[in-house]
Amino acid sequence: MNPLSGYIVVGAILFALGLVGFMSRRNLIVIFLSTEVMFQGVVINAVAFSRLHEHLEGQVFALFLLVIAAVEAGLALGMVVLLYRRRGTLDAEAWSLMRG
Amino acid sequence: MSPETIQTLKLCGIVILLAPLAGAILSGGLGPVWLKSRAHWPAIWGVGTACVCAIIVLLTVHGAGAEHPSASIPIYDWGLDAAGKAFLVDFLIDPLTAVMLVTVTFISLLVVIYSRDYMREHGHPERGYERFFAYLALFVFAMCTLVLGGNFLLLYLGWEAVGLCSYLLIGFYYGRPAAAAAAKKAFLVNRVGDFGFGLGILLIYLTFGTLEYGAVFDMVQQGVTASGVALSDGRVTAIALLLLCGACGKSAQLPLHVWLPDAMEGPSPVSALIHAATMVTAGVFMVARCGAIFASSETAMTVVASIGAVTALFAATIALVQTDMKRILAYSTISQLGYMFLGAGVFAADSAIFHLFTHAFFKALLFLGAGSVMHAMGGVIDVRRFSGLRKVLPWTFITFVVGSMALAGVPGLSGFFSKDEIIHHAFSSHWLLGTIGLVTAALTAFYTFRMVFLAFAGPVRVPEGVHAHESGGWMLLPLVVLSVGAILAGYVGVASKPFHEFLAPVFAHTFAAHGAHGHGGWTVEPTFWEEYGLMFVSGAIALAAIAVAYVLYVRQPWIPGVIRATFEGAYRTLWNKWYVDELYDAVIVSPARQLGRIAVALDDYLIDGLLWAITAVPRGLALVLRTMQGGVMQGYALSMVAGITIVLLLVYWL
Repeated sequence: MNPLSGYIVVGAILFALGLVGFMSRRNLIVIFLSTEVMFQGVVINAVAFSRLHEHLEGQVFALFLLVIAAVEAGLALGMVVLLYRRRGTLDAEAWSLMRG
Repeated sequence: MSPETIQTLKLCGIVILLAPLAGAILSGGLGPVWLKSRAHWPAIWGVGTACVCAIIVLLTVHGAGAEHPSASIPIYDWGLDAAGKAFLVDFLIDPLTAVMLVTVTFISLLVVIYSRDYMREHGHPERGYERFFAYLALFVFAMCTLVLGGNFLLLYLGWEAVGLCSYLLIGFYYGRPAAAAAAKKAFLVNRVGDFGFGLGILLIYLTFGTLEYGAVFDMVQQGVTASGVALSDGRVTAIALLLLCGACGKSAQLPLHVWLPDAMEGPSPVSALIHAATMVTAGVFMVARCGAIFASSETAMTVVASIGAVTALFAATIALVQTDMKRILAYSTISQLGYMFLGAGVFAADSAIFHLFTHAFFKALLFLGAGSVMHAMGGVIDVRRFSGLRKVLPWTFITFVVGSMALAGVPGLSGFFSKDEIIHHAFSSHWLLGTIGLVTAALTAFYTFRMVFLAFAGPVRVPEGVHAHESGGWMLLPLVVLSVGAILAGYVGVASKPFHEFLAPVFAHTFAAHGAHGHGGWTVEPTFWEEYGLMFVSGAIALAAIAVAYVLYVRQPWIPGVIRATFEGAYRTLWNKWYVDELYDAVIVSPARQLGRIAVALDDYLIDGLLWAITAVPRGLALVLRTMQGGVMQGYALSMVAGITIVLLLVYWL
């Protein structure tokens, strides 16, 4: 069995969990947390492949991803706060202005 | 003429054009914010300056003598053609121009002065006061361009500008539907005439290769075209008739007269301006100016004379039964213009201009007098609603009677001499034309004094709630000046006829060749009886008609009712102006409106339907596609995941 499969399976599980959470939950903060989980799945993959190929690019990507995740967390939380102030609820259904 | 004289004329001509224009710009531009109730000053000064310069031009041209009657003064070359001959801005100043300029600017000046008080209510300027004076001055500018221009292009420019100004002034009370409709009517009817006029000018250019008066008239007299080919009779006739078409529109001759009576919707000074000095005289002036062209075509001259005679009689009959003072005067103007056309059509253009000159005085006087009555009666102008005004408005009464006597042709006043002269010439052309002239003269005297007796005689009676009062000095001054003019203006054309002698050089070489046709006028000296016998007859007819009016409307006021009841049908026809408006409505306006309805229906159903069908395609598509926009974030995420999954699977399998 491929020495990497454990990592990949963990990454895939994390990603899938995040995806399911993203699509099934209605609370904006939980949705946002789910995206973070997806991020971590991707980061694990990146590190694992970097180790396999003996190449540092993957690690660099992982670092970038972490930074971006942090920045995104700041922005997204700010937005969630603003959205909450507008509607008084964290329900994502409250924001469906773009309905066709 | 000497270079100094020409220099003087050039300077005066430019000032005559620019002064009223400057007056218009200043009145209109500074009026609303700064001048306000003084907005009349720029207009008065502008027109006044033009009037002074016009008098200088008259004296200069008169001083230059009959040997050098005219000067063509180039101002500016548009450089539109290589030869520099076809399109110039230039003045043609000759006795005809000089007489017209003085008439136009002098009458206009008095009208502008009169308007200062007329356009006020209890001393306060009416709404649009400055706009009114700006338009008046612009009107004078347009008319002077028309008169001064030395070629057909400038004539056309002034011609159209006059039409525009009349539109603006007739529709001055644009809030009133009747005024707006009258303005549109005037403009549209004039457009009909102007269309022919424009074609005529194009044909002149095609034929002679130039639009300069002098060059064109020379070629017409020599009977050649620009390419040296002999000029055919048909082509001259066509040019003359097309030009006449424009003249009929501007001067309200028979087929196109319908706009003039409706033009009464404008303020009274506008009527005075349009009827006496500007606008309607343009047609007569043009026919006189283009005498060379008209005289070269026997047919055209016959048509001019016939239209004139028929219009004179036609309008006079309508005026017999109208009750609106301004409307009666409007029909009398059409009738008098008919006389002028009649004169021009029987090789007596100088008599036509003479009548134009005298008519300007008494018609302006009558309209301003009617305006004074209207002012005093609180806007009422229907002669059935007031009477006995001689006691209430003594000055207006005296001046109005003077004007009426001149219009009626009472011997000794200006209208008598000029009208008699035209009838005289008409008789020497064809007995029928002369007879129509005499009958019209009788009708004129009758309806004029019918109006005078109805308004000014009898017991004092004014519309309810009106405090009748005589007008102020600003309005009376023009009335008095014009009455003096109405009495004396005719004397420049009697005895040794200095007026005609002055004008003779303009027409002499044109009409001299046609003396052989056996016409009177300046080519053949009339005998004593020819001249004075007719004078006696027409004077007697005028006085008799006035006497009849006196009996009918003062002594035995029950008779008109009986006559009216006896000739009910005739009365109705006249009251409805021979149903010309109804005829036009049925023949032209209604079909045009139907066409418009059809066009609207096509637009609504065919074109809009087509557009609807085309837009239905994207609309239907959108109806399907919009369901994909759920508006919920997770929905989008789901479709994204599904899409990526499908793509990945495809990549994996392929």
